[in-house]
Amino acid sequence: MRSPKLKSLTCAALLPLLLSGTSALAGEFDGYTLRVKLIGGAQYEPLYAEIPKWEEMTGAKVEVLSRKNHFELDREIKQDIAAGTLDWCVGSNHTSFAPQYGNIYIDLNGVVADDVLAEFDTLAIKNSTVNERLVQLPRHSDVSNLFYKKSLYEDQANKDAFKAKYGYDLTPPETFDQFKDQAMFFANAPTFYGTQYVGKDEAITGRFYEMLVANGGALFDENWNPTFNSEAGVKTVMWFKELYDSKAVPAGVLNYLWDDTGLGFASGTVALNLDWAGWAAFFNDPANSKVAGDVGLVRAPKGTGGKRSGWAGSHTFSITETCDNKEAAASFITFLTDHDRQMIEARKGLLPTRTQVWKDVKAEFEAAGNAFQAEVVDTYSKSMAEDAFTPPLIEPWIEVSNEIWPQLQAAILGEKTPQEALDQAADAARLIMEDAGYIQ
Amino acid sequence: MARKRKSPYKTRQALTPYLLLSPAFLVLLFVVALPLLFSLYTSFTGYRLVRPESLWSWVGTRNYERIFADVDFWIAFGRTILFLAIALNLEFIFGLGIALLINRITWGQRTLRTIMMFPMMFSPILVGYQFKFIFNDNIGVLNNALQSLGISDAATPWLVDRHLAMFSIIFAEVWMSTSVFAILLLAGLFAMPRDPIEAAKVDGCSPLQVFRHITLPFLMPFAFIAMTIRSLDVARAYDIVDVMTGGGPAGRTELLWTLIARVGYDNSRMGQANAMAYVSIVLSIAFTYYFFTKLVAARRYMGGAA
Repeated sequence: MRSPKLKSLTCAALLPLLLSGTSALAGEFDGYTLRVKLIGGAQYEPLYAEIPKWEEMTGAKVEVLSRKNHFELDREIKQDIAAGTLDWCVGSNHTSFAPQYGNIYIDLNGVVADDVLAEFDTLAIKNSTVNERLVQLPRHSDVSNLFYKKSLYEDQANKDAFKAKYGYDLTPPETFDQFKDQAMFFANAPTFYGTQYVGKDEAITGRFYEMLVANGGALFDENWNPTFNSEAGVKTVMWFKELYDSKAVPAGVLNYLWDDTGLGFASGTVALNLDWAGWAAFFNDPANSKVAGDVGLVRAPKGTGGKRSGWAGSHTFSITETCDNKEAAASFITFLTDHDRQMIEARKGLLPTRTQVWKDVKAEFEAAGNAFQAEVVDTYSKSMAEDAFTPPLIEPWIEVSNEIWPQLQAAILGEKTPQEALDQAADAARLIMEDAGYIQ
Repeated sequence: MARKRKSPYKTRQALTPYLLLSPAFLVLLFVVALPLLFSLYTSFTGYRLVRPESLWSWVGTRNYERIFADVDFWIAFGRTILFLAIALNLEFIFGLGIALLINRITWGQRTLRTIMMFPMMFSPILVGYQFKFIFNDNIGVLNNALQSLGISDAATPWLVDRHLAMFSIIFAEVWMSTSVFAILLLAGLFAMPRDPIEAAKVDGCSPLQVFRHITLPFLMPFAFIAMTIRSLDVARAYDIVDVMTGGGPAGRTELLWTLIARVGYDNSRMGQANAMAYVSIVLSIAFTYYFFTKLVAARRYMGGAA
C-alpha cells in the first residue's frame, strides 16, 4: 500500500520540480503568502482543515480572502474583474460558471504534470476544459440519482393498489413516467408528498435540461439556435406541471433549492428524491433523518429518449493569470485535489474526480460494513461514468438559464401554456446568443 | 487711467470662503458626483462586468430603448410602487399606534422603547431567512400552527401564491421597519406642547377630536420625515425579497432591485442594469418630492394653527 504522506509530498512537489527544474523540497515557498478565494459551506470545510499541512510542507502561508457560497463568490469575482483587482492566486470555480470568466484563469495543461492529470477521470478533465484550455482542476463532482423510501415499496398493500391502478409492478422507477406515476400514487398532501424538485434559479433549469436531453431533446442545435421549445421540451415541462397540479409535490416547491429538497426527504414526508450523493450519509443518519435505515437508491430514471438524466458538474480550483507565484498556486491546488484529500471528501459522500479514489473509498466502506455508502459510491460512479453531461460550456449559460427558469415557473403555475413559456424563453435565449456572438 | 489692482490681502480674503469650502466640495465630487456620473456613462455602454474592455463600447440609448420596451421591467416598476405604498401606509398606521400606546405608559417605557427597536437591529438577510422559514408551506411554523389549531388542513403556499407571496414579503418588511415610524412619531409626541390639548379638553373636545385636530396634525411633519426616509429604503428593497422568494415564482414578487441585481451581477450586464437603476431613481425622486411637499404643507399648517 502506498504511503499517504509520500503521495501528498509527491503531488505537492511535482509542479515546482517540472517548472523550475530545481528540487521541490520542504520550504520551497518559504515566506510566500498565497491569497485565495474559496467556496464556503459545511460540506466544503473539512478539506480546508488540511491547508495547514500544505503550509507546513512548503513554508508558504495561505491567506483566505473569501469563503462564501458559490453565487456570492461569483459576484465577488465579477467585481474583481470589473475593478481590476484580481490580486489573488487561487479561486474556487465550477464547471457551469467557468466559461463566463473569459481568460482570467491560466491553462493548467503543462502547469500541472500530465501524469497527475492522468489520474483524474477523463470526463471530469474534459468538463473542466473551456475552449481547449484546462482552466480548472476538478475537486469533486455532482450528479443526481434517485433516493426512495424503501418501506413504501415493500408494503404489500401499496404493491397491490399500485398494480391495480397503473397495471405494472411497484418497483423503484426506471423511467420518468414511472417516477411521475409513483409520486402521484404515494402523495397525500399536505402530510406526505410523492416527490419534490428544486424550483428556481439554475437548479430548475438544470433539472429541465437533463430531462430534456433524456427525452431526446436539446437546448441548442449545432448553430446555437435555441431548440428547447420542442415537443420534448413541452413534454419535460408537463412532467413538472402535472406533479404540481396533482399536489404530488409541496405547494411551495417553486421556492425550493437543494437544502429544502434534502431536508424534506430527511423529514420522512417525501417518497422519492432525485438528489446528489452529498446527502446520502445525512439521509441514513438517525440523528438527522427520520428515514435512516429506510433509504434505497437507484440510478436516475430514463426519459422517453431512452437516456438517463445526468446533469453534472464539478467544483474546481483555478489559478489566476495575474497570480504572482503560479508554481505555489499549482502546488496548492494539486495538494487539495490529491488522493488523500479527495478521500477526505469522498468519505463524506462527495464524488471524487480521481479514478483510484472511487475504488479506495468503496473498499473502505465495505471494510467498515457500511453497505449503504458502498452502494452509494457504486451507483454514483456508474452515473458519472455513463450518464453525466454538463450544461453547454458557453459564456452566456447562466444568462440563458435566467431566461428559462422564470418561464418554467410560469408554465408550472399555469400562467402560460408550456409551449408559450418555452417559446418566450427561446426568443430571449436567442437574443442573448446573438449578443454574445454565437449566432451571427 | 490704470485700474486699481486688488491688494494681495483682499484677494486672499475673497478666496478664503472657497478655500474653506473646497474640502466639502471635493468630498462631494469624489464620493457622490463622480460615481454617479460614471454609472450614468456606463448606462450608455454595453458594459459587462466580466469584460472590462466593454466599458468603452458606446451603445447610445440602446439600453434605455430595451428597458422602455421591456414589459417585465415596467411590471416590476409598478409592483415596486404598490409595495412601497402598502408597506409605508401599514408602517405608518402600526407605528402611530405603537407610539401612542407607548406614550401612555408611565412605567417601563424606556425598556419598551428598546424592545421596540429590536427588529431594526437584525440584518435584513436574517429577517428574510426568519420569515422564509415561518412561511414555508411544508415545514413552516405558520402552516403547522394553522393545522395544529384546526384552522386549516391545507399547506398554504405563502411564498408561491400571487397575493400571499407579496403579503408575506410586505409582512416581513413591516415587521422589521415599523419601529422607524414608531420612534420618530414617539419623538414627536414627546415634543408636543400640552397647552393646545388642555385647551381643547376644556372646550369640550372628545379624545377622538383632540387626536384628529391637534395630535395628528402635529405629528404629520414627523410622519413625512419617516416616510421620506423609508420610501428611499423600500424603493431599494432587495435583501428580504431575494432571500424569501428571489423575485419569483414566475416573477410574481419581482421588484426593481431584484431585477436590477440579476441583470447586473448574474447576467453581468452592468450597463443595462445601470440604465434600469437610473430609470428607477425617478421613482425615488418622485416619492421624495411628494413627501417633502407634504412635509412643507404640514409645517405651514402647523405654523398657521399655532
